[in-house]
Amino acid sequence: MTVVITAGFLIRIPDIAILEQSARNLFLHVPMWFTMMVAFVMAFYYSIRYLNDEHLDWDIKAETATAVGLLFGLCGLFTGALWARFTWGTWWTFSEPRMNLSALAMLIFVAYFILRSAFNDREKRAKISAIYNIFGVTTIPFLLYIIPRQLPSLHPGAEGNPAFSDMTAPELRLIFYPAVIGFIGLAIWLMDIVKRYKQLQLKTSGS
Amino acid sequence: MSLNFMQESTSSAVDTLTQSYSGKWEGTEAIEQSSAFIQMMASNDLIFVVLGVSLIIWFVLLFYLIKVDRNVSKLEESIKEKKDEA
Repeated sequence: MTVVITAGFLIRIPDIAILEQSARNLFLHVPMWFTMMVAFVMAFYYSIRYLNDEHLDWDIKAETATAVGLLFGLCGLFTGALWARFTWGTWWTFSEPRMNLSALAMLIFVAYFILRSAFNDREKRAKISAIYNIFGVTTIPFLLYIIPRQLPSLHPGAEGNPAFSDMTAPELRLIFYPAVIGFIGLAIWLMDIVKRYKQLQLKTSGS
Repeated sequence: MSLNFMQESTSSAVDTLTQSYSGKWEGTEAIEQSSAFIQMMASNDLIFVVLGVSLIIWFVLLFYLIKVDRNVSKLEESIKEKKDEA
């Protein structure tokens, strides 16, 4: 996994000098959302596993996956706002469906953590937040992929076409895919660290 | 029929917003009138935007790592206390 991350970064850096300037954000902004999606799908899977056999390990995994997913989603939102300022001329616009719906998606997952903190009982918290998470993750494909593609927008990927079009230079993909893999690897590594910390915490507080 | 109407009304709603915001979307042309920071960011073919984006990602991840680090050291302390008690 570390090899994947370092490869993602090493390949990215030498090629950057050839490319057009702010198009390089593609390697940073877009993988954020890909990583967020992977993390939320993992959280979805762990939540289902928790409801299946009610083992607290699955709950811990689901919580950390959601936390890391939210982290990368916030990164994507902030970088998107900065990028929009210099390409569209405004930090935030309410006529851009993808921008607002992704902010809404982030709010759904902030609510997940508020819901978690509302219960003191460990089992109850795990069960209810697993159910909430399953519903929450189900809304993400609609908010981020389906609705924005139906509406007119300046963001690439509007009005039915996928985001990669003939405008995108082919050599961008060479760096883009390793970057995606690298960031996903980084996210999985982060999740692993936090999960191990939480398991230790559960052990020490339990004994 | 009703779905069709709904779609039309949403897209027209989006369009009115676009009209009212389109002045703002031409902001890159009005960059000379903006602050020095914005002007600096817009210089050199927007390369500073890429720097800003990578810095945002870095700082968000760093913030999270520092948080995890703090939690781990708290846990270490509580383990130590338990050992001292025993």
